[in-house]
Formats: sequence, C-alpha cells, structure tokens
Amino acid sequence: MSWILRALRRGILTTRYPAGPAEMPGRWRGVARAVPDAPAASYERGAAVCLSRAIEPRGHDAVVFADRCFQCGHCAVVAPEAFVMTNEFELAHTADPMLTQQLLAQRAAAFGRSVFIRHVDAGSDYSCDQEVQALFNPFYDLNRLGIFLTASPRHADMLLVTGAVTGAMEEPLRRTFAAMPAPKLVVAVGSAASSGSIYATDAIAGPVDRVVPVDVKVPGAPPPPLSIMHGIWVALGRVGARRAEPSA
Amino acid sequence: MIARDDALGDAAAAAALTRAAVGNGARFVWCYADVVERRTVLRYVVEENGALVTHSGVAGDVVPSLDLAAARWHERELVDRWSVRIEPAPAGGSPLTPGPADAYRRAWSPEVSAVLYGPIRSGIGESARWVIETAGEDFIAVEPSFGYKRRGLEERFVGLSVELAPFVAEHVSGATAVSHATAFARAVETAGKIDVPLRAQAARSMLVEFERIHQHLDALAKLADDASLSVGSAQTFAAKERVHRLLAEGTGNRFARAVVCVGGTRFDAFASMAQACSQSLDRVESEATGLVDALFATPSLIDRLVGTGRLAPELVREYAAVGPVARGSGVACDVRASGGAIYADQEADEALRSDGDALARAHVRRDEIRRSFRIVRNALDAAPGGEWRSHAGEIERGAGMARVESPQGELLYAVRIEGGIRRVAIRSASFQNWPLFVPALPGNIFTDFSFIEHSFGSIVAETDR
Repeated sequence: MSWILRALRRGILTTRYPAGPAEMPGRWRGVARAVPDAPAASYERGAAVCLSRAIEPRGHDAVVFADRCFQCGHCAVVAPEAFVMTNEFELAHTADPMLTQQLLAQRAAAFGRSVFIRHVDAGSDYSCDQEVQALFNPFYDLNRLGIFLTASPRHADMLLVTGAVTGAMEEPLRRTFAAMPAPKLVVAVGSAASSGSIYATDAIAGPVDRVVPVDVKVPGAPPPPLSIMHGIWVALGRVGARRAEPSA
Repeated sequence: MIARDDALGDAAAAAALTRAAVGNGARFVWCYADVVERRTVLRYVVEENGALVTHSGVAGDVVPSLDLAAARWHERELVDRWSVRIEPAPAGGSPLTPGPADAYRRAWSPEVSAVLYGPIRSGIGESARWVIETAGEDFIAVEPSFGYKRRGLEERFVGLSVELAPFVAEHVSGATAVSHATAFARAVETAGKIDVPLRAQAARSMLVEFERIHQHLDALAKLADDASLSVGSAQTFAAKERVHRLLAEGTGNRFARAVVCVGGTRFDAFASMAQACSQSLDRVESEATGLVDALFATPSLIDRLVGTGRLAPELVREYAAVGPVARGSGVACDVRASGGAIYADQEADEALRSDGDALARAHVRRDEIRRSFRIVRNALDAAPGGEWRSHAGEIERGAGMARVESPQGELLYAVRIEGGIRRVAIRSASFQNWPLFVPALPGNIFTDFSFIEHSFGSIVAETDR
C-alpha cells in the first residue's frame, strides 16, 4: 500500500486549534495555581518543596510564577488545600506587559501570510525539542497555517529557543539572533528557557532573556504542542495572551 | 545485582584490577570520581557474568590510564572536571569541552578541507559540534565537541532530599525521564534497602517500555525524514504522538514525568495507566507496529540504510557500546535480560541483528517496539494489587548503584548519601555510545551523517548533563 493511500485511509487527524477549541486530558498537569485563604503554613510548605522557586507565599495566599513552574505538581501533593494543578494549556504570555497584541500584530504584518521559524537548542533536556518537532506531525500540522521551519537564520522571522542558556551556547544564540533580519520575534519555549527553572544560577548563563530579547514565554516542562502553538499565535498577535502573568 | 566495594587502596591498584578483568573478558562499564573526606576516590565498574563489580581506590599524584577505547571519554572527564592526572594523558583535544571556533583552522592540503558542523544545526537537533575533515564526499576524520549543553546537573543533586531529587534526574534527559528517574530511585532503594511494591514495579516497567516505544518511533521517523520519505515520517511521528497522548491520559504528563519516586510511584500510576490503556492501547499498538512495518517495506528507505555506518562486533566490544547500537552488531547487552524487568517476556529473545549497519539498528528498534508492547501487556495482565509505594523514612547514610535499560541502552546511577545526597554520578548510554560514532563515519559519504546519527539515536542532553 502506498504511503499516500495509507495517509488518506487514516483520515483527518489534525486539530482545529487555533481556529476551534482544543483541550488536554483531564488528568494533565498544567501549572500550579494558589488557592487563597488556606493557612499561611500551607503556602510555606508548598514553597519549600518547589525546586524551581516558583512559589512566593504572601500570608494567606501565594504568587505562583507560571514561567518558573515545571509542572511536577508536588506543591499540590504536600499542600492540597493551598495549591491546585489546572489543565489549561494556553499559558503563553508576553515577556513585557507593555507588549500588546496590537503591537505584536503590527510587527508580524511584515511577514505576510507565511512565517519562517528557526529553532535553537540553547541547553534543553531534549523533551522541549521533541515537542517542537511534534508541531509538524499530522495532529498539529503547522504547515497548514503557513508556518515553516528554516535552517537559516537569514530566512527566519521567529526564533524558538528551548532550554536554559548554557555558558557555551550564549554566543551561538546571540549570533543567530543577530543574523536574523528585522522585524523578528523570539519565543522562549518551556520553563527552562523562560526562567531557568531548576538549574543552579551559577551553572548556566541564564534564561533566554538574559541573552537576547524575548517577546513571548511559554511555560511547561515540556510545554505540549498545543501550548507552543498558542505561544506562536500570541507572538504573531493573532490572539491575546490569556492573562497577565506575574514574572519572576 | 552485586556492587562489591573493595577496601580503599590506591587508585592505581584499582585500575590494574579493572584492566585485568577486561583482559579476562569483563565488560568495561564506567569510571567516575567522588570526593570523600577530601580525598578523590576513583571507582571503576566492570560487568562480570551479568553482575556489576566495582574496584575503588584513592587517586594519588598520578593514575595510570586504562588505555581502553571504552574508557577514554570517562578518563577525559576525570582530567577535565576532577583534575585527576592520568598518565599517559588522553591524546588530542577534549571531546567534552566546547572549543573555540577557530581552533581547528590549520593549513590543509589542497584536497582536504575542514567543515565546522554545529553547535547550532539545521532542523530540530540538539547542540553539539563536529569538525569534519573531508575531501569532497568522503569522511577522512571527525572530531566531536560536546559540552555545549552542560548544565551542572550532577552537582544540582547535592544537598537535596531523596523525595525531590528524582525531578532533577528527569531534567538530565527529559525525553527519557522515566528511565532516569527509575535508575536514580533504584540506586537510592539499593542504598537504603527499600523494597518496592510489585504494583509500583509493574507501573515503572510499563512506563519505561512506553518510553522505549516513543523514542524508537522518534528515531525511525527521523530516518524516514532523512530519506525524504515525508509522508512515512509524518505518519510515524503521528504514531509517536499517540503514545504521548496515552501517557498524558495515564500519568498527567506526555513524557510521564513526576511519576517515579523513591519507594515506588507518587500516585497509583498502575491504576491510571491501566485505565488509559483499556481505552487506547490497541489503537496505539496497531498504528505503531503497522507503520513501522510499512517503513521497512519502502525500498527508498531501506536502500539508504543498507551498509551505512557498519560496525564490526569487535569494534562494538572494544568501545563497550550498549543498547540498540550493540544489539545491531550482534553483541548481547540488555539490562532486562539480567533480571532488570520482571515482566520481560521470557520466551522472547533479546532483539539481535548481526549486520551492524544502520538497517540492523533500525530492525532492532522495530523488534523492540513489538517486544515493549508485549511487556506492557504482561504487566497489565499481572495486575499486582496492594500498595504502590513503600513508606521508608529519610535515609541517613548509604551508597548504591543501579541500572535501567533506557531506550538508548544501559543507564547507570550511583548515589552516595550522608545526611542528604552527597554525590550522584550518571553513566548514560549515549555517553558510552558517542565515541563509537566517530569510527562509524569513515568509509561513508557526507550525506550518510544524519542516517548514522539517527540510527544511533543518542541524546546530547544526557551526555553533557
């Protein structure tokens, strides 16, 4: 049986997202959220077990920095009265609250209907990269939306960076960004790229925005393909970020 | 599994014992350093008759080199990161430290040129760099540099509680997070003599096999893509996607992260996985196996794999390679065979091929995908009841080593605890296999590079740590 027939027989697998709705399984863990009005000690307990320092207790409430959360869910295990894991996947937010959807859309207008993406692994654990790869499988098929991968930064409109930036990748990342023509967009894919996550600050150069300017951050360890799609859509100004996220 | 520790003598004596053991047919596994009471202790590990044997000694001013191809990168790491003086010193530049971009611009003959490939590469690849000496199409020599992704993870464990530490192990290689968390947990369980309930063992076993399935599908999809078989590649990636969806349904994470913990699993993962499997396992399996069979019936793919990156079994033994790389050259090496997996199908032989080329390694992956589904079904059928976690207190002191058959092959963790974690050492399958990638290239042409790389299926993240 030819590959074309085989693919046709399988029918359409592709999600309607972002035009239509999509959801992650009920059990899927997005990022942690604080539930207000629990005993102060509960928030302290959750913060004490967070390896990426994503939780800041504030009396009978806490701030959870979504871009630091690596979705382990341990805070909700040790303090279920104070933390829950939601299964929302639309978690992307702009790095700068002043960067509105309108401003992003104006910048993206220069790209026309097709957008070329360059991916750089700045020190990932390799799961984020596989989720970026998954964007091009038939379930998500970014090509249908006019989004393509390019091997050359000279052709690239958008830079997707995975991983906290290691010392050795700082310069290659900076040079890739410099080689891209303006206007250009940078999306930090995953909590490590967005915030440095669990990595010791003296072991890495830092999150991506320490090295090149970041427009949009996508929390997750790794963020599933739907989260990354949402992040790309936010960066192109085609959809607003869900909410203003506190950033660490 | 036996981990025998000698009374601490001199590292030179430990090295001599190791060298002699390898001379008598033992397989070199790794060597690593630990600092105990301000002394640098070297631990050499070999496998004899299926059991791990450790020879330890305190490093003096000079430690003799083992002079084994299998040990070269390990010794390099002792020199680069632990300041151990090894004589004779490992030759050449370090493959584990990123070099300056212009360090290799030597004067070439008119025919030979050097191509710098990496660290940022085309497509969606991991960062690493190769200096390739070539005369047109042929590889003459290849010099790798790794370390671009070094993020200090072995050091990150130090001082953590064993409850949180598996999350760090999952960051060593996020794509094979279950293997890493399980190897770490078993090392701690060995150190603390902690029993793991059968129900948790069944859940871990299933999750490791699902991990093998999605990583083998990943490698095969990339090979199809290398051969410009775009529909075949896309459909194989779709089969991989189905595995991730099943895992998200059954564990809450597409790579089954934050499930394995010391003493078992963090929640009743067996129950939730059994539920997810009852809905979609048949579909996931028929898609995966059907697609992989179709790939092997596609001549344009097979033609590019036959004879590519051929490895003689002697070379595989010399480098002590593991996993599908070893098995593709007919060298048996599977942790599951030595009692690591209780649900392994006893009647099924280890997937072995003898041709040693990229096709043989792909065949091994195809056979293993089927075998992994069988192991998953065996575990589901066994359905052990009871607890999913044994409740042990915090471990005050102890040391342990354990291994897991990860998708890339044998993965080892060694842990030393003294009022908190003092040292975690990791020997990944990828670290052991990359050195063999270099001699796999000469004799092939430039466009074979990606085929050989994807037939190895090694991960840079777990190599650099």
